[in-house]
Amino acid sequence: MSQPLDGFLAAAPAPQRAGLRALLALARRPRGARLIELFPTLEQLTCGLLAAERCEVDSAARALGWDADAVVARGRALRCAEGRP
Amino acid sequence: MSETLNADVCVIGAGAGGAVAAAELAEGGARVVLLEQGPAHDADQFSARPLEMLGRLYRDSGQTATLGSPPILLPLGRGLGGTTLVNSGTCFRAPEPLLERWRCEHGLELDGLALDHCYERVEHALSVAEVSPELAGANAAIARRGAERLGWSHGYLRRNARGCVGSGVCVFGCPTSAKQHTGITYLPRARAAGAQVITGADVRRILVEGGSARGAQARLAGRRALEVHAPRVVLAAGTIHTPLLLARSSLGGDSGQLGHNLVLHPATAAFALMDEIVDMARGVPQSFYVDEFAGQGIMFESVAGPPSYVALALPLTGTRHAAAMSRYRNLAQFGLMVSDSSRGRVHLGSGRSSRPLIRYDLVESDVAKFRIGLRRLQELFEAAGAREVYLPLAPRVAPEHLRARDLKLLAFHPLGTARADADPARGVLDSDLRVHGVRGLYVADGSVMPSSLGVNPQLTIMALATRLAFHLLERTVPDGPRGSYDGASEVSPSPASMSP
Repeated sequence: MSQPLDGFLAAAPAPQRAGLRALLALARRPRGARLIELFPTLEQLTCGLLAAERCEVDSAARALGWDADAVVARGRALRCAEGRP
Repeated sequence: MSETLNADVCVIGAGAGGAVAAAELAEGGARVVLLEQGPAHDADQFSARPLEMLGRLYRDSGQTATLGSPPILLPLGRGLGGTTLVNSGTCFRAPEPLLERWRCEHGLELDGLALDHCYERVEHALSVAEVSPELAGANAAIARRGAERLGWSHGYLRRNARGCVGSGVCVFGCPTSAKQHTGITYLPRARAAGAQVITGADVRRILVEGGSARGAQARLAGRRALEVHAPRVVLAAGTIHTPLLLARSSLGGDSGQLGHNLVLHPATAAFALMDEIVDMARGVPQSFYVDEFAGQGIMFESVAGPPSYVALALPLTGTRHAAAMSRYRNLAQFGLMVSDSSRGRVHLGSGRSSRPLIRYDLVESDVAKFRIGLRRLQELFEAAGAREVYLPLAPRVAPEHLRARDLKLLAFHPLGTARADADPARGVLDSDLRVHGVRGLYVADGSVMPSSLGVNPQLTIMALATRLAFHLLERTVPDGPRGSYDGASEVSPSPASMSP
């Protein structure tokens, strides 16, 4: 599991944290993924989380037109130049 | 090890209400101690990465949720600025008919002119202004195109932002500090006026003696105890936690309404695949509204974010999800918010845990609003030329036939759990937002609202906190942005002259 997703889960309430970790572990296995497909809500949840994890990788995000580092750098430059907090 | 502080006013919570109250009181000459459970956040640490920032800025990683049909995610900010740090910055005044209804049904003497002065004062402090079409971006332009073609009432939203460049991550920590949340507006003012702001302070109990507030007890890091002695306490821990703290302190329960009357403004959003490039996160995510159906309790507001945010929110699975994500640059999104008739409840969970238990079930009339609202969203996107529309419903569920359990909802505006009502048998607070039966104890957050507001509440929370602060200072709210009253130029009142 990537650090961003791990951090996201680590800060969640205990029941969600345990449940989501178990669900994601299941979803990463072919048989587990097929089992999850039987429950649309769970399928969407795991699909979304795994896709979000992939999209948070810089190269994947930049391929979709989003450069988080550039956004952060511009913010820092503006704050510095204009004395913003 | 324990520590004691003395103050004129102890403020609990540094969000919309608490920060405003602390600043206005301190500038008015009161000695203020402000206790905030969460940390201070530094804009240098904002990474523009949703998963990472959810874990840092939100209580429970944004996964506080209600129990009920359906379960609803309730993202709450935590830290200096509270939810103003993580909201979209939308600023609406409460509709005048609603204030009139509050006057008639709850005996709340909210003087229109005085409240107008409070709104003006807050709007000036937060640089509230309408978003320009250019800054709103392509995502808003698509919704506007649809609304214009359908002849629906619409407009650009007013926000608390200054020098915004459309970074697209308002709810994940503004990297430019353009969003004027209370952490960078009111809190610096409070400190400059001498208020002591303490983070990491978990308030466990409000102290009352002989029917009068005496202060608060808190736990700090390293098991240190802190006691603040103050004859006036302003509680602003938020709609979910204010009733819990009152209950733990055996206060506010006489009417039986404490923790009840929870309203949420449940919300959802649809996506559309457009032929044109949208790049939804380039611009202000929440910049445009359609209020054609506001009279029916249905409000539409734009919403947007980076790819990982869309990945979480997209109501698709498998190859369809992957295909839509590959076209992220062509995706548009628009949100739907319902002014709810449903009522929920907050109470302490069982056992040693101090976690809240939030119970909320959507009533049929609110489900009906979602049926109408989602169909209207589809119409809006189709009118704008969408190639495909993705509604937040399970496959093969049409809006007209949806049931509560088919909905995937979030909510950002919890209100009402310590509602104000002039009748102590019907409300927790009186018209001055004082806890019935307790001298010197007040509430200044969303829990005070007697009903759903129908619009984003931060401005009203701050206006009411301003009104409260001036009430405690025994002054009228000045006319004009900071009026003729400026904390530096007026003679500070002695603590004894402050309203009990």
